[in-house]
Amino acid sequence: MFNELGRRQFLAMLAAAGLSLRIPSLMAAPEGHPIVRPIPSSGEQLPAIGMGTWRTFNVGGDQYLIDQRTQVLETFFNLGGTLVDCSPMYGSAAEVMGEALDTLNVRDRLFAATKIWTGDGGATRQQDRESRRKWGIERFDLQQVHNLVAWQEHLETLRQMKADGEVRYIGITTSHGRRHGDFERIMETEPLDFVQLTYNLLDRQAEDRLLPLARERGIAVIVNRPFQGGNLFRRFQSEALPPWAGEAGCRNWAEFFLKYIVSHPAVTCAIPATTRVEHMTENMGALYGALPDEQQRRRMADYVAGL
Amino acid sequence: MDTNWLSYSLSDFLMFGPEVFLRLFVRINQDIWPWQGVAAVMVVAIGVLLARGGIMARRAVLLLVAVAWLWSGAGFLIHYYGPINLPATWFGWAFVLQGALLTVAALLWPWDAVASRPALSRWSIGLGWVALMGLAPLLTVAQTGNGQAAALFAITPDVTVLGAVACMLLFPRRVRWLFLLLPLVWALFSVATLWTLGTPVLAVIPGATLVLAVMACFVSPRRARNPD
Repeated sequence: MFNELGRRQFLAMLAAAGLSLRIPSLMAAPEGHPIVRPIPSSGEQLPAIGMGTWRTFNVGGDQYLIDQRTQVLETFFNLGGTLVDCSPMYGSAAEVMGEALDTLNVRDRLFAATKIWTGDGGATRQQDRESRRKWGIERFDLQQVHNLVAWQEHLETLRQMKADGEVRYIGITTSHGRRHGDFERIMETEPLDFVQLTYNLLDRQAEDRLLPLARERGIAVIVNRPFQGGNLFRRFQSEALPPWAGEAGCRNWAEFFLKYIVSHPAVTCAIPATTRVEHMTENMGALYGALPDEQQRRRMADYVAGL
Repeated sequence: MDTNWLSYSLSDFLMFGPEVFLRLFVRINQDIWPWQGVAAVMVVAIGVLLARGGIMARRAVLLLVAVAWLWSGAGFLIHYYGPINLPATWFGWAFVLQGALLTVAALLWPWDAVASRPALSRWSIGLGWVALMGLAPLLTVAQTGNGQAAALFAITPDVTVLGAVACMLLFPRRVRWLFLLLPLVWALFSVATLWTLGTPVLAVIPGATLVLAVMACFVSPRRARNPD
């Protein structure tokens, strides 16, 4: 997986172009290459918009919803996405992802990211094995310690797994701004490829210490809750976009929220989650076109704060 | 003390959305069709048995309620709800256990010590119970706008537990609490889930169950008069 970026990007762009011919609204999508970011520890490029699965892919055995989520995933890949993030915590999401990947036959385009989520520090490999079985893949591109649960033991095993080639990258996660102090200490002392944290236009604590530290230490950053669990849309969707949004590369609120995040120089990838194809299409719009510069980013934050 | 837990809210523990939850009702009704007819017959039978009164009728009511615990626990909770919400699986097994215990109690309990109500009162209770079990399923229909989402007694947990708690009034108070523990815990869990899901209308059923269960702890059926 993800060994030949140029080829995959080319195929993704071809697919996106093909889709745009079928969906008139996509004709207006910005032309050009998808926005990519290097993983500092390897230089490998990642598309700046990924996909989260929290709540959205936990649909149990509901075939109607599995088919619908498969369409969401198909749209994600067609529009140039590669990184999909999940966790054993998310109920049936991993099984549903496995079934969707079977249907779409797109594992060669997938950057598979999941987490270790168990208080049993000796169960790292067992949970990795179980997750691989559910996804139907031979190894994960990225394994992360979920919410720092038993992180010392899991990280030690993950380091060994990475050395043995059982996983390509390792990392840790937090969300909702929790345990940033612990998170910072681990980032300072442990060799990590990735960290995952919450960062959005309203939750900006990560700007103070964690994002600068990630740059300093050469750690890739995945951003979860980019829409604050949907709250950003609930609060601001009824408001008009500022007239200068187009100058910042934003045609709708989804792009406004996401481009603010991925334009931060420390951020590698944001992972919005959605259950709807049209929302996925909007989200993936943030993968193309111009990004706001530093002055525009400040203006975006001020505009939202003033609403 | 780790105060990190204080930053969590109920929504942080909810791993699914209202669409997925409400689809459970549609799915089970599609999958078991036409067995809803059996559930409807059970509702009518329990209503008639409550109206008739008598020892055998009481035993039969409790046996039918035991079947409802077993069916909704093993079916809806373990098979449908459990895969998206792990605690539902645990509740499912608790429902099965409750059904088994109720079966034993229904068959072995010495009913002679409990007096029968007047016929008019019995028929009111029977009709009221059937009316409640007929109307309660309409809440999920109203929420979804889909007739296939009807939450039926014996098939889905909230309506089953509400109906079961009402029937627990047949037991003397000193043993009734034994069969009210699970309804109380379930109703709290369900109210919290439905509220967090953003479907507070559906929380009316487990909310009513909570009120009824608390009341049932203080209401006693009249003792039999001494025939001498």
